[in-house]
Amino acid sequence: MVSAAVAEPAWLTARRERAVALRNELALPSFRGVPGWEYFDLEGLDLDAFGVAEDNDNAPRALPGIFRVPDDAVDHHVQVDGRPLDDGVWAAGGQAAGGAIVMPLSRAAAEHADLVQSHFGSLVASEDPFVARNEADWSGGAFVYVPAGVRVARPIVLSAIQQAAGSAFHWRALVVLEQGAEAEVWEQYLSDGSPAGLLNAVVELSVGPGARLRYLCGQDLDEQSSLFGTQRAEVARDATLEWVALGFGGARGKVRMETSLAGPGASARVTGAYASHARQHLDFDTTQEHVAPHTTSDLAFRGVLGDRSTAVWRGMIRVDPGAQQTDAFQESRNLLLSKRAHADAIPGLEIEANDVRCTHAAAIAQIDAEQLFYLRSRGLGRGVAQRLVIDGFMQALVERFPAGIAHDAVAGALERRLEKVLGAL
Amino acid sequence: MATPETLTENQQLSTINSDYTERFGFHDAENYLYKAPKGLTRELVEKISEFKSEPEWMREFRLKALDHFLARPMPTWGSPALAEVDFDNIHYFVRASERAERSWDDVPEDVKRTFDRLGIPEAERKFLSGVGAQYESEVVYHQVHKDLEAQGVIFMDMDSALREHEDLVREYFATVIPPNDNKLAALNSAVWSGGSFVYVPPGVTVEMPLQAYFRINTENMGQFERTLIIADEGSHVHYVEGCTAPTYSSDSLHSAVVELVAKPGARIRYTTVQNWSTNVFNLVTKRAIAREHATVEWVDCNLGSKLTMKYPSVYLLGEGAHGEILSIAFAGPGQHQDAGGKIIHGAPNTTSNIFAKSISKGGGRSSYRGLLEVAKGAHGSRSKVVCDALLLDEASRSDTYPTIRIGEDDVDVGHEATVSKIGEEQIFYLQSRGIPEEEASKLIVNGFIEPITKELPMEYAVEMNRLIELQMEGSIG
Repeated sequence: MVSAAVAEPAWLTARRERAVALRNELALPSFRGVPGWEYFDLEGLDLDAFGVAEDNDNAPRALPGIFRVPDDAVDHHVQVDGRPLDDGVWAAGGQAAGGAIVMPLSRAAAEHADLVQSHFGSLVASEDPFVARNEADWSGGAFVYVPAGVRVARPIVLSAIQQAAGSAFHWRALVVLEQGAEAEVWEQYLSDGSPAGLLNAVVELSVGPGARLRYLCGQDLDEQSSLFGTQRAEVARDATLEWVALGFGGARGKVRMETSLAGPGASARVTGAYASHARQHLDFDTTQEHVAPHTTSDLAFRGVLGDRSTAVWRGMIRVDPGAQQTDAFQESRNLLLSKRAHADAIPGLEIEANDVRCTHAAAIAQIDAEQLFYLRSRGLGRGVAQRLVIDGFMQALVERFPAGIAHDAVAGALERRLEKVLGAL
Repeated sequence: MATPETLTENQQLSTINSDYTERFGFHDAENYLYKAPKGLTRELVEKISEFKSEPEWMREFRLKALDHFLARPMPTWGSPALAEVDFDNIHYFVRASERAERSWDDVPEDVKRTFDRLGIPEAERKFLSGVGAQYESEVVYHQVHKDLEAQGVIFMDMDSALREHEDLVREYFATVIPPNDNKLAALNSAVWSGGSFVYVPPGVTVEMPLQAYFRINTENMGQFERTLIIADEGSHVHYVEGCTAPTYSSDSLHSAVVELVAKPGARIRYTTVQNWSTNVFNLVTKRAIAREHATVEWVDCNLGSKLTMKYPSVYLLGEGAHGEILSIAFAGPGQHQDAGGKIIHGAPNTTSNIFAKSISKGGGRSSYRGLLEVAKGAHGSRSKVVCDALLLDEASRSDTYPTIRIGEDDVDVGHEATVSKIGEEQIFYLQSRGIPEEEASKLIVNGFIEPITKELPMEYAVEMNRLIELQMEGSIG
């Protein structure tokens, strides 16, 4: 259990103690035995063998990261192994003017105790072996708070970097947008070198009435590391969430992404992309929960799998009783580039209201021979033609959001990842 | 489009139908040769085997299966209602008559009356090429047309087949569904009784469907029929089964095992119209193996039962094999239809389709649960899965749980599902043509399932439409 350098409020210490008890009590999900974990093998991975990194002064190398945009276009905050790199309030560039708060969560817990206490753990329950481990041992973390009616102009970029070899990094982020607020938060989970560590993230996104949040979350860990993510968003009345997930690195990763459409008129668009090679295993578990009537959700995931890599996408649309006029969509498409690659798609619908439109689609295929033939008949070599088809396949995701800085950041990230997986042209 | 004539016909249809309790819900006085006490014991399993004078290997098979059953936990997925199945409160074996009759006149009077009310022999006289009827644990009547017999087609109840064609039965029995496949298959393997055995010799086409009818009469009865169909090279056969039970206040269990073997170039279609009363747990394992260029089609219609968990599957194990699953589920008040299908592509250039339609009404829950798997090496495989669900009111529920596992790059698989309600525009359009709202809903529901009912033999299609109409009564309001 980590106790923060700053004096931690009693309620938080109590939560940590409870989480330690839960961690010791809750069994890890068993492969094929627990719904949602049928295709994720924890065998040979001893979570508790990864200790929290010792305090040190190692400065991180400047990592290029996933999102490459001009420095002055974003506010960038970096944490290495759970240590904030500066003690200052992060909101630079005058963004704090409207009263927005961006600071390490550990610090916010002391300085904005009421705000943090009322939101921390409100969306993600502790009764889960991964969440309990996070609650027991998180440090640093991030708190983003945007008061009612305030618009934060520049994207807030949060980089969680793991450096210490064989360590566990329990990243914790809490994003709260009050009524009518607007912000963009981009998170990236990175490895500095090859720590072969464990990154266990818990993220809570609270999007207040009429607020608009764009949340990008990408991981590019070294390919010996393991990632577990538990992320949940609650979207209030007339609020909008745009969520983008990028899964690139890690030996294995399982990210659970839940969106709850809690108020009438709420809408969410969730976009996911992954590209894997070697023996990577990437696993996404998404839930679109329609709690309130007149809500919309639109989810699209695409993956490109090379070598012996495997991917699982499991998606559930849940429409609660009374959530009439729900419009929900989910789609998963995979391109298999190798005979040894393996993809599982497990879409799901649970509908308890009748006046709804719920659709899902899943497809797994190889590169379309006709498209290849067409391109080659235009004189392109096989490699180039293939690459164009794959680029086009992934490009369809980028087109889901409008031109702008986020669009370019995601397009660039995908392009670089595909180059890494497929080799340079 | 509806014309005045079809409307009249629809109205006639709805007057023909009384409700289930009157039509199928009757039960006969119990006057059995043997009725085992409730509960499952080793002694009972031995007794069943002894009763049937079975060979030693079958007795051992049953006992081994019993061990599997006892050792295995109940599945925790599917439905919470599964926990209500009380294995100690079930009659595992009831014998109604001495042997399977080949002439309708020899069937005991009360049993005959049952099937007369269900219209079985009439159907046979009309067009079916063979018919078997199972009452409680055993088949009471069996008939095959002479010309089929002359061609070497074997169609008899499983108990007789074990006596008369032991080598053939032994060669295939439990090769598709081993006794340790799942808890309910283990139970069936231990206490099975009745069911059909079909063997179609190479190149023989059975023109008309073979038919079986299953009936539970006793309260707290368990029916565990076992069906095995072998279609030898290049042969064709269509097998149709229907089932009903009386309405009792406490639950019965139906847990069948059905194995199909389609040899190279063979074609098997297996059609089920399941209309158990709503206190029957219907937990069935159905699986087929399709060899080179063989085709297996499951047409699976689930209307009755309290809980159905049934996922007919096809293992495509020979190059060019094709599997097809057409599934209709209708869940009314208190019902949960957890149905679907599984296709496993285990050989190159195999193809498959799954089309599922479900309707939920009055608080009913219908779930599509499926698996589509392409194993390594099954290159060039293509599959399409389409599931559509219709929710008729806000109390009802629809779930879709398709799983897709792909281990080969040269494949093309797709899955689509939609859930919707009856469109107001559709109703409005029909109403503007002078069709009352209730009638319009029926027409729309019939249109919704039509792509599947059109695959049913004519009599069954009529029956399906009637049953759907029954389920639809009073759905508007």
